[in-house]
Amino acid sequence: MQPYNLPIGNAADLCLQPGNHQVKKEKRTQRGFYRFPFAAVIGQEKVKKALLLNLINPQIGGVLLAGEKGTAKSTLVRSLNQVANGMAVVELPLNATEDRVIGSIDIEKTISVGKRSFESGILKKADGNILYIDEVNLLSEHIVNSILEVAASGVNHIEREGIACEHASRFVLIGTMNPEEGFLRSQFLDRFGIYVEVGGSKNLAERKEVIKRRLAFESSPAAFVKKWETEATELRDQVIEAQRKLPLIKISESILKLTADIVNEANCAGNRAELVMIQTAKALAALDNRKNINIDDIKEAAEFALPHRKREKPDEPEPQEEQQEQEQQDSEAEEETEANPDENPPEEEPDDPDNNSEEESEKQEEDQPDTPEADPPDSDESDDDEAREPEPEFSEILDQIDEIGRSFIVRNLNIKAIDRKKRKGEGKRIKTKTDTKQGQYIKSAMSKNKITDLAFDATLRAAAPFQSVREKNGLALVIKSEDIREKVREKRTGSTIVFVVDASGSMGAKKRMETVKGAVVSLLTDAYQKRDRVGLISFRKNEAEVLLNITRSIDLAQKCLRDLPTGGKTPLAAGLIKGYEVIKNEQRKHEDLLPILVLVSDGRTNTAITDNDPFSEAKEIGKKISFEGIQTIVVDTEVDFIKLGLAKELASCMNARYYRIEDLEADVLADAVRDLSNHSLF
Amino acid sequence: MKNVNIVYPFTGIVGQEQMKKALILNVINPLLGGVLIRGEKGTAKSTAVRALADLLPIRSQVEGCAFGCDPREPGNMCCDCLSKYENHENFVETFGRMKVVDLPVSATEDRVVGTLDIEQAIKKGEKKFEPGILAQANRNILYVDEVNLLDDHIVDVLLDSAAMGVNTIEREGVSYFHPARFILVGTMNPEEGDLRPQLLDRFGMVVDVVGERNTERRIAVIKNRLAYEADKEEFAQQFINEQQNLRDRILKAKKLLKKVVYRDEMLEIAAKISIELDVDGHRADIAMIKTAMTLAAFNGSTKVSSADMLEAAELVLPHRLRRTPFEEGILNFDRVQQIISEVGSADYAAV
Repeated sequence: MQPYNLPIGNAADLCLQPGNHQVKKEKRTQRGFYRFPFAAVIGQEKVKKALLLNLINPQIGGVLLAGEKGTAKSTLVRSLNQVANGMAVVELPLNATEDRVIGSIDIEKTISVGKRSFESGILKKADGNILYIDEVNLLSEHIVNSILEVAASGVNHIEREGIACEHASRFVLIGTMNPEEGFLRSQFLDRFGIYVEVGGSKNLAERKEVIKRRLAFESSPAAFVKKWETEATELRDQVIEAQRKLPLIKISESILKLTADIVNEANCAGNRAELVMIQTAKALAALDNRKNINIDDIKEAAEFALPHRKREKPDEPEPQEEQQEQEQQDSEAEEETEANPDENPPEEEPDDPDNNSEEESEKQEEDQPDTPEADPPDSDESDDDEAREPEPEFSEILDQIDEIGRSFIVRNLNIKAIDRKKRKGEGKRIKTKTDTKQGQYIKSAMSKNKITDLAFDATLRAAAPFQSVREKNGLALVIKSEDIREKVREKRTGSTIVFVVDASGSMGAKKRMETVKGAVVSLLTDAYQKRDRVGLISFRKNEAEVLLNITRSIDLAQKCLRDLPTGGKTPLAAGLIKGYEVIKNEQRKHEDLLPILVLVSDGRTNTAITDNDPFSEAKEIGKKISFEGIQTIVVDTEVDFIKLGLAKELASCMNARYYRIEDLEADVLADAVRDLSNHSLF
Repeated sequence: MKNVNIVYPFTGIVGQEQMKKALILNVINPLLGGVLIRGEKGTAKSTAVRALADLLPIRSQVEGCAFGCDPREPGNMCCDCLSKYENHENFVETFGRMKVVDLPVSATEDRVVGTLDIEQAIKKGEKKFEPGILAQANRNILYVDEVNLLDDHIVDVLLDSAAMGVNTIEREGVSYFHPARFILVGTMNPEEGDLRPQLLDRFGMVVDVVGERNTERRIAVIKNRLAYEADKEEFAQQFINEQQNLRDRILKAKKLLKKVVYRDEMLEIAAKISIELDVDGHRADIAMIKTAMTLAAFNGSTKVSSADMLEAAELVLPHRLRRTPFEEGILNFDRVQQIISEVGSADYAAV
């Protein structure tokens, strides 16, 4: 296509410019693309209220709307300016690069005047307005960090490209997301004052009306928008009236105490919850035209402010150390949760080397792989014998296929943290990414090596200030080698996870396989959100079988799992070898693979490949796998009363992370969110 | 070799009726939300999409506008055209056929959303926006072959624009937005991985294609293909009347669509089906009615019938049934039929 040049317009100019004059704003909205009117959205009362409350009292600190697709989340937010008193909705698109978010040097001006001048970005545009991020859980981690900083301080500091300045940036942060695509890390989650879960309507009449209005809007948008103007005005007047009332609202001592009690009960981290609740209650009272906050306001405010902050009673964050440190556990666990609220998926960790979450995981890396507390690697022969004992009776049982048990949200397995080789060579991951020219361009950097992925905009910005002094030879712009900048890309590269699942007869007992299937499905769900590739291997009878070669289709994996029969003997070593082979094969195809082998087994084995003792053989192979630099996770399925600890022993041989199957479940805030939506707080 | 540019005629495709119909419906009503064609290799998926180009209507656009704005639709104009429109400047109008714009799987983000125009910047020191594929796709068909292999961040961008009809750019020093209303057509081979449910839901309808199982038809497929490869012009000539008939029918349906009415019972059917089958959100209901209306228009009627509803349900429901990313939704089609006949027949009795 021919490059077609357009003067750079400002996205906010057309329909989003904040105006202090109502009539002018109305006209501007009509000039832009037609938005489905806020007032015409049916149902979703809680969402609408949450949004209005934030307009009334921006100190609430924004709202996060989470819910299934197609429930008017975005529609409501995007049309919010129709009822806001002069506030605009400034959108942060997912394709945003750092320079446009924070602001950067103004190329044109800098070239023409010869002096560095600043061109503001989205954060300036958002000042005094609403900053809206759609699909906020998909936003690049690096951009998230920039926003977090500003959202906390209300000031945007710019220190880049020779520009040092700052400007106020206070905004109402609104995010929408579909939780199927992964959760937000809690630090970011906490930034949103209130949280609302959105769902579709189950009411027949309401649903019918939804369709009707949507069709009416689509067939003639202009007329439809006009039809709803009166309602929009009414709502806006209500907001203005409430804004006027807001400063008059008194907060009594008893209300404060009640708030503190509720927050305490909910076991929230930090003190933001109380503040948000009070601010929300104030807005609620103002909206209801009252001067006093009553108990109902506080209750309602709690429903808005607590779901994403409520925590379960913290339980042990380190399953490995659990047995040894039983007594210290409680106090320590609490510290841990305070200090390390970082629950973001490891893949989304920023590449920024000076980021502290990196340091954290670096620290963990040192602590974890060689946990000396684990059982001594040698075990008694008698143990092995015992392990084999119950087997024969099960091998008689015919194959059976278990249902998939309950699935849950998997705790953060922090897979990257033990990725030693890659971490050690600092910045290697970043470079690998730039070399492939894949991934999302998020910012630029200077490069010492030969440039293959030029960041032209950044280069231009670097060159701009010097144009007045450089020899030009008829060009408008002279670029020198010191100006050259390279793109820094971020890619959500998933890992490649091979599940090696024990499907021998013993697993069929007591519905154990059901639990295992549930756990593996949970791991698969997690893998889906992190865009991992998965493979599935089972071992039973006399051999291991590749049920699914490495694929991105997690659906297929799940299907295979569902049909996976159990029965027969336990060739653990064969399973491990198969897993190893599959990974090796894949590594030949993709060099920068991050392979993970997940062994789901109780460690009991009774079939060897050679004449050796089956368990020692498995340990031997395990050692080899670990030697090859493949990360391993052992999920222990042992549920018997007397624990043999074979899987744990194997794990220490393989240098693997060890989890008991019941420890896989995450203690994430998301769980709390689920609970809350099911049964109300009170 | 002569006539390399002659595409395989749409009407020359044997079988695959549902896929063909889905594509045609989207041409008639661009607001249907596009179609995803899933199926194994060699089932004429890509052929059908490319063949569609020949059937697309000719429409008016603003001359020289990179986004092909409609001179009569200020609500969806780019900034330039809109300000001209408001200043009552006259547009130079041209007529062009709707296009099929390709989005290759290897496309980079800057080419998709648009970027800083390097040439302008170097020559003139000016910052200009260079439109990308999404700009080209405005008012056209955006075709993504192997859509399941597309990079995640490109998918995210695509979703954003598809949902909004607007492409917002905040990158590489450029801040801009322009209309990007396109018919999203994707093809994929499910063996090579899945599409995220979020993207799946954005497709108005999904069609699963399988290879022709009937021997006679298989022979017809081979014959046609051989004839086409032997002499493309001659082959296309054979279908010239059929192509024209279909084109006329599409145009007629486009006109008729404005007059199509639905009865309240149809809304009831849509809502009831969605509630009973536990479909996420409201997109399915809306898509069902719109598809049924378009089907009615295609059949030359101004009234949506129960049969239209049934056919629409078949197109818009299957991919929306999943509750979690992996639980496979099994379409309980008998129940759909039952609901349609219950509500539908009650209505007939009333009439």
